[in-house]
Amino acid sequence: MLIRFFAGAAEAAGTDTLEVDASGHTVESLRAQLGADNARLAKVLVASSLLADGERRSEGPLDDVAQLDVLPPFAGG
Amino acid sequence: MNKIAAVVDVDIDCDALYAAVADDRAGAVVSFCGAVRNHDHGKAVTQIEYVGHPSADEVMRQVVDEFATREGVHAIAAHHRVGVLGIGGVALYVAISASHRRQAFDCAADLVDRVKEVLPIWKKQYLTDGTHEWSQCP
Repeated sequence: MLIRFFAGAAEAAGTDTLEVDASGHTVESLRAQLGADNARLAKVLVASSLLADGERRSEGPLDDVAQLDVLPPFAGG
Repeated sequence: MNKIAAVVDVDIDCDALYAAVADDRAGAVVSFCGAVRNHDHGKAVTQIEYVGHPSADEVMRQVVDEFATREGVHAIAAHHRVGVLGIGGVALYVAISASHRRQAFDCAADLVDRVKEVLPIWKKQYLTDGTHEWSQCP
């Protein structure tokens, strides 16, 4: 699964993209794993919304997902 | 119903968008210009970089569609810019023409609120002390 980080999430993660093996992962377990060694990213993930292949997803398994976008809180306008 | 909606990476042509909503049925034309200001939460700002998710252009179209059925509204134009803007730069421009002023004022105000709520755009604010921060980001 390809994770795409945007804006402040990319800055906290130190990268725009990350390839992970999503098998067996849920949204919750992935957030925990990504934030485990990165306290700043952990905080950003709590506030971020996720798009799994373009659809909002807030919980459940990620086995079927090819691309996961991490979107921090919006600040347009 | 004339609808113009886009996320653009060039300077917004406010005059052209204002002209584009002209309609003989409209007794009121309201425009909103969201510009970069030089302060935020007590800090001095030098410039802002707006960054958008690839879906932002489509989301802007969806937002304009949401307001296109409003009573008395005849035309809507809404552009959001991405890229680096200096103080005074126009980040968001909205123009509404409607039969009556209350319809135009309300549509413009509500549309701007909705853009701020759902448009996947982020704001990297550069401060005078040389640092930067992502607005709304923990």
